[in-house]
Amino acid sequence: MTVIPVFFGITLLVFVFLSVAPGTIADLMGEGGSAIASDQAALEERLCLNDPLPVRYVNWLGDLFQGDLGLSWQTGRPVSESIAQRVGPSLILTGTGVALAILLAIPLGTLAAWKPRSIWNKLASVCSMVSFGVPGFLLSLVLVYVFSLTLGLLPASRMYTTGTSGSLGDLLYHLALPAAVICISNLGELVKQTRAACLETMGEDYIRTAWAKGLKGRAVLVRHVFRGSLTPILTTVLTHIPHIIGGSVVVERLFGWPGMGSLMFTAILSRDYAMVMGVTVVIALTVFSTNLLLDLVYGLVDPRVRQGRGGV
Amino acid sequence: MKQRTIALAAAFTLTASLTACTQTPAPSGAQPQSTSNAPVVVSYGISNAWDSLMPYNSPSGSNYSRMIYDKIYDRLAYVHADGTLSPRGAKSWESADDGLSVRFHLDEKAAFHDGTPVTAQHWADTIVRMTDPACPTLGRSAFSVLAGTDSSGAAVAGETLGVTVEDEYTLKLTFKSATTPEDFLLDRNREYYVLPTHLMEDVAPADTMSMDLWAAPIGSGPCKFQSEVMGSALILTANENYQLGAPGFDELDITVMDKNSLLTALIAGDLDYYAIGGSLSAADQPTAESAGFEVLEGTVPNTFFELMLNNESISDARIRRAIELSLDKELLCEQSTQGHGTVTGTSVLPTCASYAGDYNTAYDVDAAKELLTEAGYDGTTYSLACTSNRQGLAALMQQQLEEAGFSVQVETVDSTTMFAGMADGTYDMGIASHTPNALPLWFTESRFTAENNIFRVADTAPYEERIDAVKNETDPEQRTAALAELEGYLAQERPFIPLWFGTALHVQSNTVSGIDYPSASFSNENVWEWVKE
Amino acid sequence: MSGKKAQNSTPWQRFRRDRWAMVGLCILAAEAVLVLLLPPLMGLEPNVTDRAAGFWAPPSWEHWLGTDDVGRDVFARLLYGGRVSLLVGFSAAAISVAVGVPLGLLAGYRRGVCEFWIMRCADVFQSFPTTVLVLCLVALVGASVWNIVVVIGLLGWTSIARLVYGNTLSVREQEYILAVRALGGSTATILRRNVLPNVISPVWAALAQRVGRAILSESSLSFLGVGIRTPQASWGNIVQYATNITVFSDYPWIWVPPSVCIVVTVFALQFVGDGLRDAMDPKYVSSTGVEERNAFCRDTPVELLAALEDPDES
Repeated sequence: MTVIPVFFGITLLVFVFLSVAPGTIADLMGEGGSAIASDQAALEERLCLNDPLPVRYVNWLGDLFQGDLGLSWQTGRPVSESIAQRVGPSLILTGTGVALAILLAIPLGTLAAWKPRSIWNKLASVCSMVSFGVPGFLLSLVLVYVFSLTLGLLPASRMYTTGTSGSLGDLLYHLALPAAVICISNLGELVKQTRAACLETMGEDYIRTAWAKGLKGRAVLVRHVFRGSLTPILTTVLTHIPHIIGGSVVVERLFGWPGMGSLMFTAILSRDYAMVMGVTVVIALTVFSTNLLLDLVYGLVDPRVRQGRGGV
Repeated sequence: MKQRTIALAAAFTLTASLTACTQTPAPSGAQPQSTSNAPVVVSYGISNAWDSLMPYNSPSGSNYSRMIYDKIYDRLAYVHADGTLSPRGAKSWESADDGLSVRFHLDEKAAFHDGTPVTAQHWADTIVRMTDPACPTLGRSAFSVLAGTDSSGAAVAGETLGVTVEDEYTLKLTFKSATTPEDFLLDRNREYYVLPTHLMEDVAPADTMSMDLWAAPIGSGPCKFQSEVMGSALILTANENYQLGAPGFDELDITVMDKNSLLTALIAGDLDYYAIGGSLSAADQPTAESAGFEVLEGTVPNTFFELMLNNESISDARIRRAIELSLDKELLCEQSTQGHGTVTGTSVLPTCASYAGDYNTAYDVDAAKELLTEAGYDGTTYSLACTSNRQGLAALMQQQLEEAGFSVQVETVDSTTMFAGMADGTYDMGIASHTPNALPLWFTESRFTAENNIFRVADTAPYEERIDAVKNETDPEQRTAALAELEGYLAQERPFIPLWFGTALHVQSNTVSGIDYPSASFSNENVWEWVKE
Repeated sequence: MSGKKAQNSTPWQRFRRDRWAMVGLCILAAEAVLVLLLPPLMGLEPNVTDRAAGFWAPPSWEHWLGTDDVGRDVFARLLYGGRVSLLVGFSAAAISVAVGVPLGLLAGYRRGVCEFWIMRCADVFQSFPTTVLVLCLVALVGASVWNIVVVIGLLGWTSIARLVYGNTLSVREQEYILAVRALGGSTATILRRNVLPNVISPVWAALAQRVGRAILSESSLSFLGVGIRTPQASWGNIVQYATNITVFSDYPWIWVPPSVCIVVTVFALQFVGDGLRDAMDPKYVSSTGVEERNAFCRDTPVELLAALEDPDES
């Protein structure tokens, strides 16, 4: 139940930061400094910006406990409505990218560990290098230039072709480039984790026993090495869940994808603090549930680690 | 053998997952809508999100929001880039009551998207409700020009509000001071919308903004609301019955994307057109042209650049004049507009009827140094705030100011921080740009009042006096003289430094015809004349 | 894997035998030298507009990489930007280590309340939406180099702390540590003398990785318009010009060199990190008397715990 103070800690921290940052949404009013003081005052009053910080935080918390994330300062509509609209696209984009990365990384990482001198190990290293070394935005720019502008094969932005919203094929068509960027960005880490996990398992006594028992290579790989490495691999996969919910600011911005990342970014730029707090709460909750899930998985699968990880 | 099987399995997984993303683009190349009954869609990009879909509940009151309101709701008139007006919600207008009022003859064909005709009563009810102090209107100061309101635009109890329904289709607005219809519309047209007040009768003014109506608004503009992903996408459909004609498309899909992605998306064919006016920088012109797009220069200046000064921390007018003298405006303008701008020493457009002409824009470092010595500049470091897209300009300014002996520190911040920082005195200078119009006081009027004193001048009275003199003068020659007097005072005090007027470049859409590109800078677009080919 | 030769050599000797690690090290050293020495030698000025050359000039003898939108020499900016980017990378990683190692040690060794709060804190930092913190801090104190260093550095402490924590947990149960404790050694001394040497080796590899991450984080921040700001140059904010399609397609000399620098530097850091990890493998550090079951065991926590990395946008 330590989740509760940590949760307060996070929200309070974000709240304080936002309140201390210079400028409020009221300063965005008007064009270039022509804002009228009375208009700004009206907005500040409506948003209770003149109340002391603790009062505002307590009010916000009170609403939160009633399940109310409040109204967006920018659109005047419920924050939860905006988040509900944006979670889906983020799940689709980041989810697809990460899922692809997992599908590629598990066989690649396992093979790389299994045959350290094979081409698979080299390929795994190259994948990790590229994935770690090339920033996502550079990758996006290059892919858009090649596939959208030069070859004209794939769209450079949006989720659907205009007027045809809904078809799965169209979605996948638009998903190709941004999901590829996310896949590549995550691939390196996943390959590395899988490889490391398999290497560790291969050093375990029971694998030696399996060898000694005269089991054949493939049987050892699938039945023992892979299964033994499942926990760390699962850990890695699970820790990606907050990423998936939170979306990716860079990729979403570049591809005009209506996800959580771009929602957060625009909310910060437009000083829509109700929205920023809402997204923070959602991401924090996701992280907590992921951690909880991790502990559960650990406890179930591997009692040794449960001890090592410390009680939660 | 086994290894091969594993390798095969891995290869299979690989191909399977790759085909998942590569096989789908099969329909590429071909246009997505090839069937005849598919809707004709105009895909429209915009770099900033709109606020609420309720026009009087917009915290930013930004041009991006106005671009959206302009589609869903109707305005009185359409303002062209050159400052001329044509009918929209109103067919014609004339001055009344010795110039104190304007009478608008509304278009009888105008109707809300639910079929209800738009009457003068709708306009009057809208204004009454929005000026009601109980209604949480944002940007209410738009109504402060009307008689019977206070300086914040709220109706004063006991006074008659300056809005009268003369008959079903005749609306009369009465002002606090004599105002021509042209001046009123140039200044305020983009802030006056007619709301479907027949749907709001049962709602108390205080609850206006929380109505469900604004989640799926009904207006009387050229487009109807269909669906929205807040802050990201908006789908509108054409209003077949718009009084000025039906738009030449079925659907308008508006998507928010990064500013830098707009041109890319246009070239890639994802967009048909982007706001505002398909404008692009001169550096991008060759790219657009080589991709097969025509690029035209706008007909009138649509940006005004100024260097805001903090008159409190830079309190000596000689130092402020020295700043102007040390800036090579020609080079700055070249850097920023690449030949599509003219330097200026005033905020008044050359096309303004009262333009007094010939303002000093000299670049003279020696004179600047002399002034500095005379004023006893002590080497204080001034902060120069700019937004991230003007970093280059700020760097150039910094070099020029340092040549003249100033010490300058550039602070790159977002625009909110910059304007807040100018207003509260955090920064000493700031680079800003605005959309000018042909009115002589478009810039100065709102910046030297107790309400808004962004330049932090110690005493606004001398400015207000001269501004009022221009405002209250109706004789053209006298008005020019009054304006010259104001400009003379500004040149002497130099509370802000006018830099240049820029003219936009517009990428012409290859797929939509009839777009009035330059007028987009007045936050209105002639969507009813657009035709998707 | 573990040849007899390796057993008797020092870490540096082992590192030197790793060809890729040496290549990485040479690249980093060359970069540092070029970035520090070339500008004064060539008299390069990163912040001066060359009016004769004009804006967006193509490469010439005078301006090897042309000029940018303000008429500044791009080559000079590349070198000065390199100073900033490398500085950000190394300083941020140093902060991560300076904060993460003591906290990880303390949490792993003292357990109890200490462990509880430090690891909870790690959770807080980890679940924190990075963008918010960065944007807020930057808005609050201005986007100076040091602010960005501190923000990126502080956000990186969790992975280092978890790494050290995990290793400390296993080391503290070793018999000789128990023995020293029984003899009444003070916590600080035990941590410094006995625990730290046993848990620090994987940190070196993680450190190299963090430097790379920090460089990437800075460039991503610049891309979003909240990173290092001009007039100061950084590799990230020079690459940012490429978001403009004209610059991307027509002026590759502006954005390709800094991109290559970023990628090559991160690669070099990877090589060095991997080399360090192999060279420092405590299996060979016999002085402490820690017996290791196998070479992979030490390997693993670096990789595994790095998975619990903060959700950086990079």
